[in-house]
Amino acid sequence: MGKHQLGEFEEVVMLTVAILTDDAYGFAIIEEMESRLNRKVSIGALQTVLRRLEKKGYLSSELGEATSVRGGKRKRFFHLTSAGKNILQETKEQRLGLWNAVPEFVVKFSH
Amino acid sequence: MNEKQTISPPRWALRFFRWFCDPECAEDIEGDLLERFEKRTNENKSAKWLFSLDVMKLFRPGIIRPFTDSQKLNNYGMISNYYKVSMRNILRNKTFSFLNISGLSVGIASCILILIYVNNELSYDTYNSNYENTYRVIHYYGQQGEAPDYATLPTKEYQVWGNAPVAPSMQEYFPEVHKVFRFTSDAPWLFSYNGITYSESNILFADSTAFEVFDWKVLAGNPETALVRPNTVVLTKALAVKYFGEENPIGKSILMDNQEPYEVTAVVEIPTNSHFFFNGLISMSTFRNSRPSIFNAWGYVDFYTYFTMKPGASIDQLKEKVPAFLEANFPNDFNYHIDFEPLSEAYLHSDAGRQPGPVGSMGNIYIFTSVAIFILLIACINFMNLSTARSVERAKEVAIRKTIGSQRRSLIYQFLVEAILVTFIASILATILVFFGHSLLELISAKALPIDWLFTFQNALVAIIGILIIGVVAGSYPAFVLSTFRPITVLKGSFKTSSRGIWLRKSLVVIQFALSIILLAGATVVSSQLDFLQKYDLGFDSEQVLVIDFGYDGEVQRKREYIKQQFLNHGDVEMVSVSRATPGDFFPNAGTGVADPISGEITYQGPAIYEVDEDFIPTYKMNMVAGRNFSDDFPLDSANALILNESAARLFGYPNPQDIIGQSFEQWGREGKIVGVVEDFNYVSLHEEVEPLSIRFGTQFNVSVISLKLKSVDYSKTLSELERIWNNAVPHRPFDTRFADQNFDAQYDADERFGMIFSVFSTLAIFVACLGLFGLTIYSTAQRNKEIGVRKVLGASTSRIITLLSKDFLALFVIALIIAIPLSWYVMNSWLDGFAYRISLGVEVFVISALVTLVVAFITMSFKTVNAALANPVDSLRDE
Repeated sequence: MGKHQLGEFEEVVMLTVAILTDDAYGFAIIEEMESRLNRKVSIGALQTVLRRLEKKGYLSSELGEATSVRGGKRKRFFHLTSAGKNILQETKEQRLGLWNAVPEFVVKFSH
Repeated sequence: MNEKQTISPPRWALRFFRWFCDPECAEDIEGDLLERFEKRTNENKSAKWLFSLDVMKLFRPGIIRPFTDSQKLNNYGMISNYYKVSMRNILRNKTFSFLNISGLSVGIASCILILIYVNNELSYDTYNSNYENTYRVIHYYGQQGEAPDYATLPTKEYQVWGNAPVAPSMQEYFPEVHKVFRFTSDAPWLFSYNGITYSESNILFADSTAFEVFDWKVLAGNPETALVRPNTVVLTKALAVKYFGEENPIGKSILMDNQEPYEVTAVVEIPTNSHFFFNGLISMSTFRNSRPSIFNAWGYVDFYTYFTMKPGASIDQLKEKVPAFLEANFPNDFNYHIDFEPLSEAYLHSDAGRQPGPVGSMGNIYIFTSVAIFILLIACINFMNLSTARSVERAKEVAIRKTIGSQRRSLIYQFLVEAILVTFIASILATILVFFGHSLLELISAKALPIDWLFTFQNALVAIIGILIIGVVAGSYPAFVLSTFRPITVLKGSFKTSSRGIWLRKSLVVIQFALSIILLAGATVVSSQLDFLQKYDLGFDSEQVLVIDFGYDGEVQRKREYIKQQFLNHGDVEMVSVSRATPGDFFPNAGTGVADPISGEITYQGPAIYEVDEDFIPTYKMNMVAGRNFSDDFPLDSANALILNESAARLFGYPNPQDIIGQSFEQWGREGKIVGVVEDFNYVSLHEEVEPLSIRFGTQFNVSVISLKLKSVDYSKTLSELERIWNNAVPHRPFDTRFADQNFDAQYDADERFGMIFSVFSTLAIFVACLGLFGLTIYSTAQRNKEIGVRKVLGASTSRIITLLSKDFLALFVIALIIAIPLSWYVMNSWLDGFAYRISLGVEVFVISALVTLVVAFITMSFKTVNAALANPVDSLRDE
């Protein structure tokens, strides 16, 4: 473990998937990210990252039931795998470790 | 309605997205796109534009479908499905697939092998860079007083073997002629180097221009100077290795005929597809030094003349100038003319006489090509027959597919893919068969058949196209007919094979068997003709005649009487004769004059010449029809006597041989009386009529072989004893022997090989046809399983059931016979026309081949029919 470092966008996507728990499909993730982080996210960027994370085994996905909305197309729901949870945890600890190492006055000063 | 229209996203963008997107994730992403689009329309944003933008941003690696799949858009899925279904079908019906694939692979392999052979025949002499521009001189030696229209004289009347002076005269007279090259007929020479001595056959004298006209590969030495000086010799690689091994032979000397050392100046390799062949070349200047006079004699025949034309020059113009050329150069002392023949016609298209090497036959090439096509056709017919026979089974499959929604087109593809797949597997097997068969074919044809020309990119394409074509041809019937079945009739259960299908299947079987009978009849005719040739009474007896070839060795010539006596002392030797050649060998022709029966004036003709001693005619058991043989009692026979054969007597105007005895003759500086007439004997191959022949007494210098008539049973013992006698008499000369009948039969080698190749491929064709018949029998017995059961229950005997099952075939066979007999009669008759002495085509040939085909067919069918007839009816009826 630890060989792969999550990118910033990847980390945000995974966290959003975690937030949405059972309702994490493409468009919902975009909505959530746009509302929480106030940043524009294109479907292309998101989907690429989602596929990549899935291929690495941090996410798993399944197709939902077809509904009458969205042209009858099914949704693909994403979940964190245990490997995904581990790497999120690891990333968080790394960040915290870094934060803890920063001298207090620097942070205060920058504020 | 209105609202709905406003909210639909741009169509092109959606289509574009569907086109590029990885099908794995296309659906959910499209859903996301649409959901976002809907939301944006509700928010009154420029949704369409943003939708397109989103699609554009999706066009990136990871979302785009994998590249390998991109060429297989649309049809990939179907094609892989076709493949899968075909594979399943092939594996499910193992017997049928086996019959199909083995039949096709044998068919394709035979076809390729024949192609290799034919291609080799067609490639003769094409290795020469001047191939298109090289011609040879053919000579006409006519009868005195006759003046045919030379312009229309057929090339058959000409011969390739000619005189020496025509070459330099042409070089001088025709500005269009670039290089002229002559070589002589071959002779054996004794080669000695470092104590090893062998007699080497096929050594020619050759002009120094050899390498400017022919592109033989020069492995060592300078081709420009190799044949200039006297006493130089050019070796082929095989000879160079034999005498020098690893040594560099250039500059070394070989002792020739135990007399003079000749310097080796070059080593060459002649391609196997050259229309003449040699083991060594000796410079023409050597020959000129030894016999300068013949180089000016237009009547002395021993040279082959080839020449190249300057670029742009026309051979037709050259031919027009021939009369003027002869006028200017030829002394006009006998009836002589020349013509030119292109090198490209030398091997396959030349009917001129006295060729420098074996010639091929265009007729044989046509025959082989037809055989190849026949075999392939038979194999394709197998495939079609078996597929249509199984159409009832497949009909259900077709019906279900159609019900589910399959289009006719895709069903056609399905069957075609199956056929192509079978062909493909068969051609892979065929390639393996070709590798094994190739060496076998080389053995039978006694030729090196290069196959490297096969492995080019072009031929790979040809192979692929060939597989497609065979696949499509073989698969076309099932593909186009099965796909028309109406699902409703088939699934209702009332479907039977259409009568059209049966009709087609039957006519295909007829074609197959007609082809098989034709091939078999052909093979029978060829082998009985060859048999006929072997057993034909040639007018002389060469059995048990041992021939010792001493190649005009001076020492042997001097001791000839002594050697004869020594051999006669051996108990197993009945008769000994010394001569220039034996029947079947090469012999010269000579201008010969005999007194005319009416005027008494000497008229000249050009009969063949044998130079023999007084024991030759008894040794070969030839019959004298008039006069007497040469005899010791007439010591002057060696100077003033001549014997003719019957046709020569007729040629000179004496239909009754008695009348020519005592007439005066003139030949090669000899004058005297004709003393005898010998009965016509076939001294050349039976392809030709017996030609006029004159037999003269061979002087000491003109003899090169000794014939021994043996009465031995233990040849190896006798031979070793004779060798001891020989070595005691002339220890320097190798004991080079052969049997005279083998030598004579060697003339039929080409026919023999043709016969062998023909029978092999005919057998293969019949084998393939039988495979198909076997498949059909399996099918038809399976169809009539219940009928057989019922019949057996009602008391039918086994033999009755076998007859019942075979009866259908018999009718087809009769039709096949009716088609095959006239066709093969015509073809084989024209083949036989190539022989002057031939069998007449009787009924028995066709009876034999028909019977063989019939018996083989019944045996093939019996594997299945007997089985079916013996089966317990309970097994076939219990599920009723």
